[in-house]
Amino acid sequence: MDVSEKIHEQLKKSGVTLAASLPDDWVAPLIDRIAADNTMRHVRVAREAEAVAICSGAFFGGVRSVALMGATGLLTCTGELATLNLRHQIPVFLIVSQRGSIDDHRIYQEVQGRRTIPLLQAYDFPYHIVNKPDEIPTIPDAYETCRLQKRPFVLFLTRKLVKGDAA
Amino acid sequence: MRAREAIEAVTNRRGDAVAVCALGMAANEWWAVTKDEHAFYMHGAMGFAASFALGLALSLPKASIWLINADGSLCMNLGCLLTEASQAPKNLKHFVIDNQVYQTVGGLPMVNQGRTDYAAIARGAGIAKARAIERLDELEKAMPGIAAEDGPSFTLLRVEAETGFLRTPPMTYEGPEMKYRFGRALEKKFGVTVFGPQGY
Repeated sequence: MDVSEKIHEQLKKSGVTLAASLPDDWVAPLIDRIAADNTMRHVRVAREAEAVAICSGAFFGGVRSVALMGATGLLTCTGELATLNLRHQIPVFLIVSQRGSIDDHRIYQEVQGRRTIPLLQAYDFPYHIVNKPDEIPTIPDAYETCRLQKRPFVLFLTRKLVKGDAA
Repeated sequence: MRAREAIEAVTNRRGDAVAVCALGMAANEWWAVTKDEHAFYMHGAMGFAASFALGLALSLPKASIWLINADGSLCMNLGCLLTEASQAPKNLKHFVIDNQVYQTVGGLPMVNQGRTDYAAIARGAGIAKARAIERLDELEKAMPGIAAEDGPSFTLLRVEAETGFLRTPPMTYEGPEMKYRFGRALEKKFGVTVFGPQGY
């Protein structure tokens, strides 16, 4: 079972039946896996804040959902996370690539690497970093924490997790 | 037609529909006319009432969801039309109150004022049932058909801008209170579980 299959399995275990996504290359395999699952409604969006608001609407339909995106996409929707989800205390569970880490040598990701977590801390959005495959089973607890804290919760996937040691 | 007249004509035909209202004029007017708690009134995230309504429609396929959008909000998230078209929810109707100005902040003109054909944009995105309505008698005549047809549909309501600030007050519930009122109303109406046994 590869990493995407394991994450997908844990999302199902968490009761997730709707996913809204806009890919970056690290989360793309997980998105493909979810898109192939006909028990999970998959919504492709044109901007990441759409995914945030779709998941927020789904909350009121009693549906558990996940928003999938890259770190750059997360930065684009902080206004909506603040004025919709913080404003109304609506939980939204986000799975995001942790770009700009010390092993991610892409110049256009370096700001994301330096400033994303301080930004989440400024907003008081909780987050959890999954770095190894044996940490993937923490997802249901992370999901419940998101619900309990009634706010955006970011589950970061590291490069080591999605690309492995050899990549 | 005036914005209030358009809203009244739409509310008169809403039946059991659950509304999602864009912040500002759309939300304030819907609340003033209906005082309806089966409606979510956006306080922020301008542009994303549309996406919220889509998520709700996909989650409650047996419910009729009416999105009450506005031209300023639509322009903040035109991509919502592509997403609506791709998901094609039969239970979602998208209305846009188009007054060509940012009414709530004093009537300042919209970008590209008077030159944008939003119904054509919706059709171009793939929503075949898209139309613009300019007169009240035309809207009243069309509403039974709009209410009865399958979604997704897009109905632009061209209304006159009010002079200066439109002072219809917003609904009076604070953010978390509205969340719980709306969620509890949907639990009761549709038998879904929004909140768990500990209330969160």
